[in-house]
Formats: sequence, structure tokens, C-alpha cells
Amino acid sequence: MKKILFTITLLLFFTKAFAHDMVPTYPEFRPSYLEGVLVTDLELFNKRNDVDYYEITVFDEFWNTVPFVTSYKILKLSYLERVKFSVYIRSKDRNRATYICTKSRIRGEVGPSTVISSMICSKIKKDY
Amino acid sequence: MFKKLLTSILFLVPFSAHSVDVPITGNVQSRCVITTDTPGVYGNPNAYTLTTAAADGGVQPIVRYDVTLADAYYAQITTPTSFALSPSLSDTVTWTGSTEVSSLSDATNMGSYETNKITFGQTTQYDLTATGSTWFKSTSTATYGGNKAFPGGTYTANIEAVCIAK
Repeated sequence: MKKILFTITLLLFFTKAFAHDMVPTYPEFRPSYLEGVLVTDLELFNKRNDVDYYEITVFDEFWNTVPFVTSYKILKLSYLERVKFSVYIRSKDRNRATYICTKSRIRGEVGPSTVISSMICSKIKKDY
Repeated sequence: MFKKLLTSILFLVPFSAHSVDVPITGNVQSRCVITTDTPGVYGNPNAYTLTTAAADGGVQPIVRYDVTLADAYYAQITTPTSFALSPSLSDTVTWTGSTEVSSLSDATNMGSYETNKITFGQTTQYDLTATGSTWFKSTSTATYGGNKAFPGGTYTANIEAVCIAK
């Protein structure tokens, strides 16, 4: 296990690749300062120098969108920048909301190639 | 003499040194990291085909998934079904695509990834049951309708790499 983690760490730090990283894997909603509104916090790290924007979306288990509020639905995130953000949902949606996802927004002017858009989805912890 | 001795002693007395601890904090959490190793390039083996196949002059896109928690994530890779950027196209484009495991950091525990993959449409899903890194490579081919020549210009298509927590 230690060997694997060490290998991953080496890969993350010493390769010239571009990565998209979001934590936690299992966020948990808690009551916010607003009545009837729940909040959770996540952290996004942009190690893709070809991406400056990430879009946040909340989905149910069937991948339908769930209404939510956050400071910016599309986050501007420079290369190697890390940002913490909060996602608010209505209390009545707490059983519906299943995934919080961030998706890279690719620039339009890239060259004659395939470009890889990345999306990471955390699963909302439901222990009720 | 006494004054000189006193001065010398004063120089030998160490001044009080303040040390400040600079903390380095870290937070290890389970995570899935998607890394774009190779973006991929379309080759143009004939006038009506664009393909990332190496045999046809293309470069296969490679995506790496690093997971630090076993049996907690699915990797889904979807090959393109349209161009994100292209000249104006008057005819239909037929798309084919596939994804396969390119390399594994732990062949023993990840050996079954390729045989257990699920494919639906242009999407291939892998169950990431072990911790470590997995490289996936995709092939994407676009064929222009009626074997007509693709108009000159720049063509770009999106491959979508998704990591979903179970």
C-alpha cells in the first residue's frame, strides 16, 4: 500500500501531465445559517494548464440536475491554483442530491486533435 | 586589562536566539485524480477519415486515473460523437470509438479491469477496485458521409473522462 501511494506521489509531482483533483470523495451536507438550506464544502485543485474554468453541477442518482447555489457555478481557476467552495441545496432536496461534480471547460481554440475534458463526481454521504 | 577581558567575555556570551516553528500541514484524503497524459491527434489516412489510430498517423489520447481508495470509484471514458471545432460540414459524420487499458501500476490487483469493463454506446466504464494508477487509451475515428473529403480546416473533438465515486 505504502509503495503504491509513494508511486502515485512521485507520478503526481514529477510528471509533466495535467491533472484535475477534487476532494472530499464523500461530502456531507450540514445545516447552513439559512433555514431550510444545507451546505457542504469541497476543494478543487487545477493542475491542468490547458484549463482555466471548471463547472459545478449537482445531480440526482439518475443524473438529472438538482437545483443548487454556489458562489460561482463556473469557477475560474488558474494553473496550480486551489480553491475551496461551498454548495448549498434546499433541505427538501437532500434525499435527491447524489453527486456533486466539477467538469473542466476546454478552450475553443485548441489545435487539430482530441482534447480530454475531465469530470470528477463526489458522492454525497447520506447517513440518515 | 579588566575592561578588555569583560568585553571579550561579552562577545562570547550568546545572545538569546528566538526560534520559530514553521508548521507544514497536510491533509490526506481519499481521492480520484484524472490526468491527461496525451491529448491525442487525428491522423488523416485518406480524404474522408480522421482517426487517432497510430497505424494511420494519429496519436491515441491517454488518460491516467490515480485512486487512493480501493473499490470506491468508477472510471468512465466517452469517445467523441461530434466535433467541438470544425469547418462547416454539410454531410453527416459517422463516429466510432473504443477505449482500453494501456498500462497498470498494479498488474496483480488490476489485471481484471479490461475483461470486466462495460461498454455502452461510446462510453466505456471500468470499476476501479484497487488503489494505484491506471492508464487508458482511446481510439476515435470520424468518417465523412458518402466517403466525401473532409473540408480543409482544424478539427477538434472532446473525449470525456469521468471519475464517479461509488
